[in-house]
Amino acid sequence: MNTKLIPLDYVNNLVYELEKAFWDERGRGARFRMTTVGREFYTEKVVPLLHSPDLEEILKTVRDVLQNEGIVGSVVYEQEDRLLRIRVEGCLHRKVEEKMAAHGIEPWTCVPANLIVLAIEEKLARPVELAEIKVAEDGCHLLLVIFDHHPSLA
Amino acid sequence: MSETYTLAEATLKVIQDRRSVREFTADPVSEQELDMILEAAQQAPSGENAQPWRFIIVKGEALRKKMGAVAGGGSGRRFTAEFVTKKMQERFSNLQDEAKRKAAFEKLTSGQVSAFMAEAPVNIVVCGKKDVWDTPFDTSAAIENILLMVTALGLGACWVIAPCIDIRDEERMKALLGIPEEYKAISVISVGHQTRVHRPRPRLPIQELVFTEKWGEAYYKEQA
Repeated sequence: MNTKLIPLDYVNNLVYELEKAFWDERGRGARFRMTTVGREFYTEKVVPLLHSPDLEEILKTVRDVLQNEGIVGSVVYEQEDRLLRIRVEGCLHRKVEEKMAAHGIEPWTCVPANLIVLAIEEKLARPVELAEIKVAEDGCHLLLVIFDHHPSLA
Repeated sequence: MSETYTLAEATLKVIQDRRSVREFTADPVSEQELDMILEAAQQAPSGENAQPWRFIIVKGEALRKKMGAVAGGGSGRRFTAEFVTKKMQERFSNLQDEAKRKAAFEKLTSGQVSAFMAEAPVNIVVCGKKDVWDTPFDTSAAIENILLMVTALGLGACWVIAPCIDIRDEERMKALLGIPEEYKAISVISVGHQTRVHRPRPRLPIQELVFTEKWGEAYYKEQA
């Protein structure tokens, strides 16, 4: 088996080109088609560690996985009613967002955000929407809205 | 009705009269009307003549309510996200009437704007085969044909993408309706008898839309 690591620049350039191609095809609607990207990683790495139905514990678990797997440097949460503000620093995919911004496209998808959304939706049965991604000097600033409950399908 | 139209005039009138109708009476849509609507759908143009469209007719109240919940939930999430980032307020900045602004925000963020399909007598779920070249375009053409035939029949309809646009909601719809993996849930068309006459929505001036020979050179010159 070839154990040589894939260069990060190669991966990020490919991710950027895939995202850009999808954006060119689907425009602002593209963001809604990528909300589950990261699900395999989530299932394999996060789900086995998700034991508590407590929001703080869920957020801590996702943060630990992201840090331990080397995906991000740090994750800081700040909750304000139904709004969850997240600052992600040192993300492996930061270059993708920078390239997107350089082409005048607002960042529209984020794998760490997707993992957090998947975990909250699954463990708490509360819908979550990623409202905003802002790329700043000190990291990516994410804004999530956490709703009380799914609409009844009964 | 004593007015007479040429075929072209009648076609344009149907196109111009189409509205997005979200309130319906309890009157049913007849099978004859539904047959004509579906015949119109399947006559749409299709790349390679693949005809990737499939239609699920949903009339049962329990299923309609579940679909309405998925649609309303999706719209509510997305519009609330737009609201908390202040983008919705920017979008409605021209609406000065505070009460109307508040009502519009409430209708959008609550998801009511899409949940209405629970009350439509008929919902046509449009599905598209994935393994063809042009599913989004083919199914959109079929949907427009549906909307035009609905209008020609004096009925009302609304093209609702809310339960399908986010992949999480599309997964819910596919599970709810048993749609196989090799098909996409594209949209839902809610059909019924409209409760009132709807005004036309504004359109951009055609001078801004049409160019001659290359991008930017207006085809229609401004009127003096």
